[in-house]
Amino acid sequence: MTTTLSPKKRESSRGVSQWALAWRRLKKNKVAIAGLGVVGLFALFAAFDGWPFVLTRNDHGLFAIYPPECIPPACAGGSLSTNAPPSLSHPFGTDSYGYDVYSEIVYGTRAAFVIGLGATGFALAIAVLIGLAAGYFGGWLDNLLMRLTEVFLVIPFFLLLLVFLQIIIKFSPSATGGLWLVVFIIGAFSWPGAARIIRGEVLRVREFEYIAASRQIGASANRILFRHLFPNVLHIIIVLATLQIAASVLTEAAVSFLGFGAPNSYTWGQLMNIAASYINQAWWAITFPAVFLTLFVMGFNLLGNGLRDALDPRLRE
Amino acid sequence: MYTDPILRVEGLRTHFYTFAGVVKAVDGVGLYVNSGETLGLVGESGSGKTVTAQSIMRIVPTPGKIVDGTIEFKGKDLLGLTEAEMRRIRGKEIAYVPQDPTTTLDPVYTVGDQLTEVIMKHQHVSKRYALNKATELLRSVDIADPHIRINQYPHELSGGTKQRIAIARALSCEPSLILADEPTTALDVTIQAQILDLLKALKEKFNIAMVLITHDMGIVADTCDRVTVFYAGQVCETGTTEQVFETPKHPYTEALLSSVPSLALRRQKLSVIPGNVPNLIQPPSGCRFHPRCSYARQICIDKDPELESIGDGRLVHCHRWKELDLKSAVAS
Repeated sequence: MTTTLSPKKRESSRGVSQWALAWRRLKKNKVAIAGLGVVGLFALFAAFDGWPFVLTRNDHGLFAIYPPECIPPACAGGSLSTNAPPSLSHPFGTDSYGYDVYSEIVYGTRAAFVIGLGATGFALAIAVLIGLAAGYFGGWLDNLLMRLTEVFLVIPFFLLLLVFLQIIIKFSPSATGGLWLVVFIIGAFSWPGAARIIRGEVLRVREFEYIAASRQIGASANRILFRHLFPNVLHIIIVLATLQIAASVLTEAAVSFLGFGAPNSYTWGQLMNIAASYINQAWWAITFPAVFLTLFVMGFNLLGNGLRDALDPRLRE
Repeated sequence: MYTDPILRVEGLRTHFYTFAGVVKAVDGVGLYVNSGETLGLVGESGSGKTVTAQSIMRIVPTPGKIVDGTIEFKGKDLLGLTEAEMRRIRGKEIAYVPQDPTTTLDPVYTVGDQLTEVIMKHQHVSKRYALNKATELLRSVDIADPHIRINQYPHELSGGTKQRIAIARALSCEPSLILADEPTTALDVTIQAQILDLLKALKEKFNIAMVLITHDMGIVADTCDRVTVFYAGQVCETGTTEQVFETPKHPYTEALLSSVPSLALRRQKLSVIPGNVPNLIQPPSGCRFHPRCSYARQICIDKDPELESIGDGRLVHCHRWKELDLKSAVAS
């Protein structure tokens, strides 16, 4: 049975990286894998129109997806019932405009990924640069960057977000930028906590002999920062990113639900804001977006917690 | 005076600017290393051995600073070089073998990655060539199955293997000087002996000068050609291992040698040096060893002695070396 032995042999000669070990630990964590499953389902949901109900048909042929810019009466198809309860053709019913709630939720999922990934990418790019620089160089630079971070931390970010959006909508009735503007502002105020955590991790990692060793072999500061420090704090960045995605989406939903969101965007918060006034006639129009929002946030949080357990070097056996 | 030393350090002062005050960790250290020889730096913890080595490579951690002195390596003044020029010397001309092998390798890269990093940093060679060279290096430090080890990560290796890899990394660019900072402290005794034998063999083979930092007199006797004894950031004396062990010229060396445990003195109480290592923020006046020295006179309290050359390449840092007749507890 040499064939069954060879893959094992190859693995042992290749070496097992820290990431492979972390994946092994993550796989053992059922809750985290459930979170990963939820996140995966949402990704498929956003990526494919109408998935998983592609086979469900309605009056208009294939399953109805109304693009957000298409107001139902103007679109082909004609007769649309407003506030229709869940049925086979509209699994989550229709809202007060006659939009299919399921379709809206699909668009909301796409928006959620844009918000989550966009705001998190922006926030963590700032946080990583500030955290690495402050932690590695120390001294006056550390002092300056950390005081700046603290200034951002004490700003009541949520109120400021509402004010910013209100001003922009006032002065630009078409709300140019729309959703991306919200993403940008959420990102711009979400970095301070992450920056401090990354700095703390850099302070821990830079004391290891291998950082000193890379100076001893003549590595430059840039090389030490990005080739040696960054990969060794990446584990904490991954956890922060996962949790930040959930937090960003939740923030946007709150802003939109309060009526301060980007007016022409299709997000779960916007759907809930519109449907809130019709809660007596159509409970489904607000309930289903809320359920999806909850699942989305929960999925990322469970995954984030699982990743933290799997990646934390202090918990390693 | 002495013939063509590859490294000469004179009047080196490295101070740490801490909140508690200025710690004079290295205060007027002078030493030299001839090419191809092993110099042992011995002394208690905190006597400035490691800081001296870090100063030579100019990698003193903050808040430390080299405030004075000259470090001459192959005729070049290292303190006068720019940081970029210095980076070309680190790892290529002067290599460092660190104390703790458990964390000296970056956990996210394979052994091969870490060795090729140094090779490719200092030599313009292809990745493939560097990998072959790395495998070769692993073989030269007596690591079994180098082609397997090269693809493994540090957490899959034992402490002794990691230290061998650290040595391989130090050797990778054929340096002319290796600074080994207590390379065996973190290892158990059998592995210690293996690593020391390896260092000795490699040194002979490649004709590398080595500075071996240790506090183990046994290691010094076994491995070093010459010894420099440190006390409280200063040099007590320098000489060949034989000279220092047989005819110590500094009271501290005498005391140090008499506190070495010996199998021959089984039933006797081990002698200790009275007192403690001084506080380096406010070191004692005059000779720093005077509060603990049984030969101390008024002049020792008043005046810091010179690091005097007494012939035969020996340096002594004591007012009274001429009049004292010091005995060595280990002289045969």
